[in-house]
Amino acid sequence: MIRVENVTKVYDGGAVALRDVTVEIPKGQFVFLVGASGSGKSTLIRLVLREEEVTRGRIWVAGKDITKLPNWRIPDLRRSVGTVFQDFKLLPNKTVAENVAFALEVLGHPRAVVRSQVSQVIDLVGLSGKEDRYPRQLSGGEQQRVSVARAFVNRPPILLADEPTGNLDPKTSVGIMRLLDRINRTGTTVLMATHDHAIVDAMRRRVVALDGGRVSQDILVGRYEDTMAQPKADLSTEEVAPERGSDPFDEPAAEAEEAAVESGDDGK
Amino acid sequence: MSRIGYLLRDAFQNMRRNVLVVAGAILAIFISLALAFGALVLNEVVRVNTLLWQEGEHVVVFLKDIDDGISDADHRSLMGEIQGWEEVSSVRYVDKAEAWEEFQTIFADSPSLLDISDQSIVPASLRIRLSEIERYRDIEFRLDGQPAVRKIVSPGEVIERLSDLNSVLNRLAVGLAVVQGSAAVVLIANTIRLAIYARREEVAVMRLVGASNWFIRIPFLLEGMIEGLVGAVLAVLAVYVGQRSMSSIDINIVQLNLPEGFFLRWSVVFVLFGAGAGLMGSALGLRRYLRA
Repeated sequence: MIRVENVTKVYDGGAVALRDVTVEIPKGQFVFLVGASGSGKSTLIRLVLREEEVTRGRIWVAGKDITKLPNWRIPDLRRSVGTVFQDFKLLPNKTVAENVAFALEVLGHPRAVVRSQVSQVIDLVGLSGKEDRYPRQLSGGEQQRVSVARAFVNRPPILLADEPTGNLDPKTSVGIMRLLDRINRTGTTVLMATHDHAIVDAMRRRVVALDGGRVSQDILVGRYEDTMAQPKADLSTEEVAPERGSDPFDEPAAEAEEAAVESGDDGK
Repeated sequence: MSRIGYLLRDAFQNMRRNVLVVAGAILAIFISLALAFGALVLNEVVRVNTLLWQEGEHVVVFLKDIDDGISDADHRSLMGEIQGWEEVSSVRYVDKAEAWEEFQTIFADSPSLLDISDQSIVPASLRIRLSEIERYRDIEFRLDGQPAVRKIVSPGEVIERLSDLNSVLNRLAVGLAVVQGSAAVVLIANTIRLAIYARREEVAVMRLVGASNWFIRIPFLLEGMIEGLVGAVLAVLAVYVGQRSMSSIDINIVQLNLPEGFFLRWSVVFVLFGAGAGLMGSALGLRRYLRA
């Protein structure tokens, strides 16, 4: 679904963010992108969204080489990729429903379609009854749910999340992860940049670690610590199906919470 | 259809958010177009009045009469000669009797003057219309030596001054329109910049979720166009009111009414121009900020 091939990104001014990075993410996979601040996680996400252009290499998204996409085709790319950010990016003067609807309205969907899609997705993220609240009247976790709803409302095949739990406490983070897991189970490919140990450990999904702009680890079912120790295994071409039917936070919810508390909020 | 509605609603919401700035842009368009339109109307008034002068009898030649040894036959032969000149379109002979009637009409309010006058004091005259008004000097020059000519009167100089004034006003109107018009375009460009800035979060989200570039731009373009349109309509109304109140003043010597259709025709032109200037301004404002 996403194929990054020998990608190097050098910013104007000479800062090298990514060096010869190759990652392949099959359809339906859930992938964590981990690494210290400055390791290139956000750059990779920005490249996939074409907010930045590669210096060298190719990126395919949904079968299309987006490094060659003319500027006027970029909106099409962004419609097939939902995005969630650490800072939510909600519009403060719009209600929950209006924020979610906005994403469809600006694509020119008719109002009736917008209304039914919006109420469906608000239901999905568990915010039924809060449609008419404004972002400032919601908790951080609820705001992030709105932003997930907005990212998912037009059912994109890919969801990118750049530290979606970065501003949230561990318990709230678990809720967001459950939500992303649920979205992944609908067949949506999810790529999530994070440095939240507890979440990576609890989810038991593929982990790609970046270090200084290079892929240092690529582990099919990983824990955060593994990315520090084990040698790199090339899994980029394997089809990986996520474990289905089990909620990683179901039984050991309390445990995950503890682990999260232990790991602290240093974000490394 | 719902798309157009959405984009229009969006544009109006934008404008409501920045009422003062929008009012400033509309005012700038209004002032520039009102000045230009006003100059144009004034120019037209001058042109109409010049034409009226020109359509009158341009050169009046008072003739000597029998007391000076000049006969009616001499009058006729001079008239025939003048008729042959190429710059003359027509000549009318006013004999003493007709001139006396004219005199009586003009001085109908002064019976004492009429009491002491009679037909003998008014001379016969030739009334000449020219095909080219500018050549009145040639006519004067050629008539000057004629034995039958007593006196030549010509409003040519006044006409010439009016023509000069007309062309100065013309240039002034064009200059005003250009300077004020570009100022208004720049002002609208700034308004649109501010509107984009005020909505930068919304624009960022729109780009994020994949709104097309035109979908993002059109509300801003509409905003500029509406501002230009409103300013132009106000300018047209202001000039209309001004012109009406001016033409209601009764001044005999100057014709203040405009020809039929003049105002309507130019109103349409100015309103379209206002909308175009608004569109250009917003395109200018969008140019750098929202490159695709």
